[in-house]
Amino acid sequence: MHISEGVLSAPVLVTGAALTAAGCGIGLKKLDYDRVPQVAILTSAFFVVSLIHVPIGLFSVHLVLNGLMGLLLGWPAFPAILIALFLQALLFQFGGITSLGVNTFNMALPAIFCFYLFGYAVKGRNNLISMGSAFACGFLGILMASFMVAISLVFTGDPFWGIAKVVVIAHLPIMVIEGLITLFSAGFLRKLKPELLEVAHAKR
Amino acid sequence: MPKDSPLRKDRLSRTTLLSLMFLILILFASASHTLAHRVVVFAYVEGDMVYTESYFSDGKRCQHARIEVYDSLGNKLLEGKTDKRGEFSFKPPTRKDLRIVLTASMGHRDEYIIPESELPGGTEGRARGYEPHEAVGQVFPAEKGGEEETPSSQLTRLEMEQIRGVVEEALDEKLKPIMRLLVKQQKERVSFIGVIGGIGFIFGIMGIILYFKSRMVRKMEV
Repeated sequence: MHISEGVLSAPVLVTGAALTAAGCGIGLKKLDYDRVPQVAILTSAFFVVSLIHVPIGLFSVHLVLNGLMGLLLGWPAFPAILIALFLQALLFQFGGITSLGVNTFNMALPAIFCFYLFGYAVKGRNNLISMGSAFACGFLGILMASFMVAISLVFTGDPFWGIAKVVVIAHLPIMVIEGLITLFSAGFLRKLKPELLEVAHAKR
Repeated sequence: MPKDSPLRKDRLSRTTLLSLMFLILILFASASHTLAHRVVVFAYVEGDMVYTESYFSDGKRCQHARIEVYDSLGNKLLEGKTDKRGEFSFKPPTRKDLRIVLTASMGHRDEYIIPESELPGGTEGRARGYEPHEAVGQVFPAEKGGEEETPSSQLTRLEMEQIRGVVEEALDEKLKPIMRLLVKQQKERVSFIGVIGGIGFIFGIMGIILYFKSRMVRKMEV
């Protein structure tokens, strides 16, 4: 998921950075005072979770959790993912500082998308629909992010479907695992702290 | 029944919490040996060839990834693909610093620079390196002052050179795994301290945001 330094051309990097800046602006504006600790906890989770590799398939891929981030945070997922990716680039050399904007946008946009698409269904009354949506949320978060990576890489000259195929196939196991993780987390929160699923929707 | 239900709910939540923690533990245990997600390329010189190895930093080899070699001015010297074991070797076309660039799938990229002095035929550097040894070699028999040492000091210059060459080669051979390990460790920098430090950073940032937000809230109240 992390695109390394020096792969993308300047226009792509600048566009990504600008879009991420805009997303972070909206995210910070929508961030309530009382929710800051929750955002911080999820940011740390996102930061650490990418160290967990899934040794299935041909490639080496890791957990991302962007679906869950979007589901629980809404727009503040943007600054949260930005900070987590910045620290990953700084401390682990994942991705890079120059490609930070693009990488953040690639992972945060699907998060926001999942939030709008599944947020209401997950917190709804119907158990089955809620579980299904939570799974779809985790699954789609990665699927979309894979396509975003492929789109960013198109400008390096490789054909889109070629890259998209590789990225999507490599992340298939992750999609399922993230779907399950999101399902369990959302189910857990619905039982124990349903208000956590509500807060992201509270201030629109 | 109404009295019973909160208790049951509580117990249920506790088991869920425990199972969740267990899941996380399992994930971490399985991940402990496969840290870091990026590609790493590193290279070493053996004989007159340069060997490169490429792998994802959890140890999986980068197969069929593109390797490009540039000189210090940025001119592309040659290009190739890694084999099934993530290896690629080439004969260095120049004796300048070589920049080896690995481009793997999904936007992964890494570089490794082989300095001029390590390349085969970079004899100036090596010749200079010999001199201190030579000095030691001459002082050594003199210190002992024994009769047995005199013949050795009379070894012809040519023989000395040959011995030195052989020793050098043998040492290179013996040290190679250690050098590789060192380079590898230098490049793989995910550490426990990094993880903890990162989490610390995030909570520090949280503190800063809370501080400013609280000031804003107070101002609005006033």
